[in-house]
This record gives sequence, C-alpha cells and structure tokens, in this order.
Amino acid sequence: MGLTSRMGELERAVMDRLWSVDDWATVREVHDALAADRDLAYTTVMTVLDRLARKDLVARERDGRAYRYRARASRGEMTAELLRETLDDFAEHDRRSALVAFVGDAPADDLAALREALAELGEG
Amino acid sequence: MTAFTLAILAVLLAGPVPEAMAGRAALRRTPWATMLLWQGVALAAVLSALGAGLALVTDRAWRGEPDAVGLTVAAVALLVTGLVSVRLLLSGHRVGTSLRSLRRRHRRQVDLVAREERGVAVLEYDAPLAYCLPGLAKARVVVSRGALGRLDTDEVAAVIAHERAHLRARHDLVLEAFSVLHQAFPRWVSSRAALAEVGLLVEVLADRAAVRSVGARPLARALVALADREAPEAMLGAGGSALTERVRLLADTDPHPLQGALVGLAGVGVVVLPTAFVAVPWLAGLAGA
Repeated sequence: MGLTSRMGELERAVMDRLWSVDDWATVREVHDALAADRDLAYTTVMTVLDRLARKDLVARERDGRAYRYRARASRGEMTAELLRETLDDFAEHDRRSALVAFVGDAPADDLAALREALAELGEG
Repeated sequence: MTAFTLAILAVLLAGPVPEAMAGRAALRRTPWATMLLWQGVALAAVLSALGAGLALVTDRAWRGEPDAVGLTVAAVALLVTGLVSVRLLLSGHRVGTSLRSLRRRHRRQVDLVAREERGVAVLEYDAPLAYCLPGLAKARVVVSRGALGRLDTDEVAAVIAHERAHLRARHDLVLEAFSVLHQAFPRWVSSRAALAEVGLLVEVLADRAAVRSVGARPLARALVALADREAPEAMLGAGGSALTERVRLLADTDPHPLQGALVGLAGVGVVVLPTAFVAVPWLAGLAGA
C-alpha cells in the first residue's frame, strides 16, 4: 500500500471515528479508539488530524495544552456538499464521461413511456 | 487524385455517415459491432483528413519540378494538416488531464465520506444515484443510500453488475476518445450525434452484461425505479429518453448474428479499405518516384 493510500485510509478512519463520536475529541481519544484494532502511533493520528484541519474537514479548538477536534459537518451534509460540488464541476466542464451514471435524468413525460416499456418486458 | 479521394472520404465520414448512423434503432441491437463501426468511422475520418492534406503536399511538392503555385498549395496544405493534428493532440491532452483530475478529486472525497458495503461505496444521500468512477487501479462503483432504499436485492445486483461492466470494459476510454473529437471539431463534424450515440451504446453494452448475470427483469425495474425522481443531479449520464430505448432493447434478446457480422465487418473495412486502396498505393508511388 502506498503512502498516499495509507494516509487516505487513516483520514477515513479518523473521520469515521469523529462522526460516530459526534462531539469534540482529543487526539488521545481518537488514537485510543483506532489503535484498538491496528498498530498506530499517537503522532500519526496527530498528523492526520492536522491534515484534516488544514483541509477544513474538521474544526479544532484549544483545550488546555492540547487540541480538540470535531467533524465540521455530518457525513450526510458532507456528502450532499460533495455531490453538489461535483455536479457543478461536471456541468461546467461538460464532462459527463468522467462519471458513467446508471441512469440520466428522465423528464416526467418519459416516465410513462418507460413504464410501458417495462410492462412490455413482461412479468418474471 | 489521392488527395481528392481522401478529402471526399473524410467529408463523408465526418458528416453524412455519422448523421445516418446516429439514432438508427436497428444498429443498437448489435451494440458491440456498432461500437466497432463508430470507432472505425471516427478513426477513418481522422486518418483520411490528415492523409488528404499530406497527399496534397506530396502531390504538389514531391514529384518533378514544383512551381511557385504548387509550392504555395503544398505549404498551405501542410499548415492546415499540422493545425488539425495539433488541435486533436491538444484536445486529447486537455480532456484527458481534466477528466483525470476531476475523477481523482472526486474519488478522494468519496473515499472519505462513503461507507463500503458489498464492495461498493455507499453515499449517505437520499436521492437515488448510481455511477462508476473509472480508473486504472482505483475504480469505484458508487451508490447512494436513496438508491439502495428503492431497490430490492436483485435490482441492486443488476445495478452493480451494470457499473462493473462499464469499469471492466473501460467504456470511459471510448467516451473519452469521442469527447476529444467533439472538443476538437465541435462544429465541422457530427461529433455531438456520435458522442450521444456512443454514450447510449456503452449503456446498452453494460445493460447486456447485467442481464447475463441477473436477468432482464430486475435490471429494467431498477432502471425505472432510479429514473423516477425529481433530482437536481441530471448531468451524470445519458438523457432520459434514452432510458426507454434501453428498456425496449432489453426485450430483444436475439443476438442478430448476421447483422452483427456485417456491421462489425463494415467497422473494420472502413479503416482497412481506404488504407489498402488509397494510402498504400500513394505511399508506394512516393517511394518509387
């Protein structure tokens, strides 16, 4: 596994943890939760949280001598934002082929024709 | 003479031929062969256009004692041919890099917020969405929670089989090639029609793969279930009316071997014949001159 994909995997694990806590968490708390099922250094968790904070995915506040972190937005909110952003990108670039979608958008009057075609396919 | 023949061929293959092929329902019954034909026509169009330019250059400037007019014509032809090539290469570069960077960014974001279930990335999102993110090593099938909620087990399997077929066959590369042509020559040729038709054909091919693994009925139900929505997320795929066409094509299970063979042969022929009867004699003549 390359360095970037390990970093990606850790970022994901840390975000998962913060989402499930749904509150402020210290580096120690995140590290303890993640180190339960993997070999992980405390400083690595610190680095990952720092990266996430710089990407503005987590908020950071001082708590005595340490920092505490929490996810900036819920998983659902972040997903919605991601999709909105992606669709803007694609609308702008007219690059539909970047993602190959299962179905496109069907205008309402096409749905009737669509159901008819489905009916003709028969039951089974 | 060679230049003239190739120029006529290029014009035909860039305009009337794709125009006649696009939207022809019968051709979609043999999607694999028809895809081959589209690629053959596009390749032959580009090669004939470039060949026509170069043939004009050699015709005027290679043999005998070229006069001033001949040399001027040759220079202009060379310039135009060069411009066309550069435009194609630039378009290829631009489309390629922008696609890859968009995908890379999107993939990173998806990996962060999605949960992995059944080997696909599931997004916590209410609107039904299903798509694939192509890539050499890091391809993903992405499905929204909203889509999973609307589909039963067989239908989910159909959707996943469809997307995996896109990824396996690298349909994105075909679409990319036709996007490059369209970006390079949006007005001169019927490239939008070609792009739209090729877009539909890759869907038909992926549909067939899904039918082979789960059957037509679940796939058709999934198509209808996911199309029925009021969603802002248009843009991610072929137009809506193409869906009805896809469901209709699911009913046609006959492999149409004769049509498939003829269309496939035409796809190969459109590249091979001009090469053999026009380009090879021309090059041989140059070598002999």
